[in-house]
Amino acid sequence: MPLIDVNTWIGHWPFRQLRHNTASALVRRMDQRGIDRSVVASIHGVLYKNVHLANEELSKETRRFGDRLIPFASLNPLYPGWEEDLRRCAEDLGLCGLRLYPQYHGYELTDPASLELIDAATELGWPLQVPMRIVDRRQRHPWDLASDLTPNDFQAILRARPKARWMFLNALGLDGSRLPAESNFLVEISRMASVLQRNIQEMITAAGAGRLAFGTGMAFNVPDPALLKLEVLDTSKAVKEKIAWKNAAKMLGIKGMSP
Amino acid sequence: MHVNGGGHTWSWDHNDRIIDAADRLGIDQLCVSIPVMRGMPTMEQVRRCNDGVLEAMAHYPGRILGYCYIVPGYAESMAEIDRCLDRGMIGIKLYNQYKLWDPAVHPTIEKAIDEDVPILEHAGHPTTPEGWAEQPNMSDAADFVRAAALYPEAMFIEGHIGGGGEWEWSIRELRRAPSVYLDTSGSVIDEGVVEMAVRELGVDRILFATDMTMEGGVGKILGADLTQTQKEKIFWKNFQHILDRRQRRPSPL
Repeated sequence: MPLIDVNTWIGHWPFRQLRHNTASALVRRMDQRGIDRSVVASIHGVLYKNVHLANEELSKETRRFGDRLIPFASLNPLYPGWEEDLRRCAEDLGLCGLRLYPQYHGYELTDPASLELIDAATELGWPLQVPMRIVDRRQRHPWDLASDLTPNDFQAILRARPKARWMFLNALGLDGSRLPAESNFLVEISRMASVLQRNIQEMITAAGAGRLAFGTGMAFNVPDPALLKLEVLDTSKAVKEKIAWKNAAKMLGIKGMSP
Repeated sequence: MHVNGGGHTWSWDHNDRIIDAADRLGIDQLCVSIPVMRGMPTMEQVRRCNDGVLEAMAHYPGRILGYCYIVPGYAESMAEIDRCLDRGMIGIKLYNQYKLWDPAVHPTIEKAIDEDVPILEHAGHPTTPEGWAEQPNMSDAADFVRAAALYPEAMFIEGHIGGGGEWEWSIRELRRAPSVYLDTSGSVIDEGVVEMAVRELGVDRILFATDMTMEGGVGKILGADLTQTQKEKIFWKNFQHILDRRQRRPSPL
C-alpha cells in the first residue's frame, strides 16, 4: 500500500538534539519504513524571525528529492513582506504548500493578517497545514512559551475559510461532528489511536474516512507508532488506503500513485 | 497499564478494549493497577482500587498481572500488600501521594524487599511550575536516586519516561542510581528516548510499558536503533527476570 506522510520536518530544534533531521536522512527513513512521499517543512521556520530564510534552506535541501519530498513553506503574516516571500516560494523555490505556526508567531488563525495570508496561499492553489502543537508542553524548555492550539481554534478557522484545503497536524481531541462538514480538512493521525482510545475510529464515525491522513511527525517522533496505527486499525482495506495515501494525494493534487 | 474495575473507570469503556488492543499489538501480559491520581484516598478507597484489579485478574487469568496500589502512610497498608500478594499480584504501585524517599514509605520498601517484588512508582519531571503544583509529591528521578541510596537492594521502577516530563533530565539523573529500572511508557514518542535510556543506563534496566499509549508504546521500541537482542530484553526478558526473583524464593517450610 502506498504511503504519504503529511507531517515531517527537517532542521534543528533549539531545545533538543534531533537525529535523522536532514532531507537525505528523512528519505532514508522513508525508504526503511516504506513511505513513498512526505510533506516536509523546515523547523527553522518556527523560530527564525525572518522566516523566509528557512524556506530558502528547505528548497535547497529538498530539491534533489523532488520525487519524494513535498516541501511546504513557513510564513509569518505579521512579518513585513510576506507577500513577496510567498511569491518567491511559489515561483523561485518550488514550494507548494504552507505550514503555519500561530502559537509561535503570535497571532490567531482568524486574525485579519492571518486570513490575508491564508487567502493568498489559497489563491495559489496551496494546501495549508497547522500543527496543534510541536512539542509536549509538559517537557517544554522554559523559553518555549507557545501554548497548544485548541479544537476551538480549528473549528473557527474552518468556519472562516471552509474552501481552503486544511491539514491539521499533531492534533488530538478534535470532535469530528463539530468540524464544519462543508469545509475541506484532514486530521493527521500521529497523536490519535487505533486501539483502546480508538479516536481514529471516532473521527471516521463522526466525520468520515475521508477526513484522516497518515503522518509520523519525523524528525521529532519515532515513525513506527504511526505505521502500527495503520496496521492494527480495525477497518476495511479501502478505509486504510484513504488514510494511508488517497486522502492526502487528493488534497495535495498528487496524481499517478497507485497500489 | 490501568484497568477498569471496583467502581473505577477510565474514559474508555470496558477492559475488553484493553485486551483487544493487546491482542492486536502482540502483547501477551499486561501489568496493571488502579491508582487514585489526585488527593489522598482513604484506605477503603485503596482497597476498592485493588479489588478492581483482582476482578480484572480473575476475568483475564494469566493475561492481566496486578500491582497492589497503596498509600504508604496508612498502617493497614502492610496488610493490604499481604492481601494482594496472596491473591497473586506481582508488585506494589505507588502514585503521587508521597515522595519515594519519604520515611512514610520506608516500611513499604522494606516489605517489597522482603517479598522480592518491585515497586513501580508514577514519576515525572515537569518543566513548568504548574506541572509541579498539580502533583507536588510526585517523585522524579532525583527522588529515585535518593530512595535507591537508602535501599539499593529494592527493585524500584520509575514509571513512564514518556509521560510528558523532561526525559533527558530524568535519564541523566538516573545514571546515579544503578539499581533503578525505567519503563518506556507514556504518550511522548520523541525520537531517541529509548536509545538514550539504553546508552546511559544499560539495556538491562529498561522495561517495555505503554501506560495506555498502546501503538506508541510498542512502536517506540520497534523503531529504536537497537539490536533484536536488546529489544527482546526490553520487551520481556528484563521484567521476567524481576518476576523470577519472587518465584525463586525458598518455599516456606
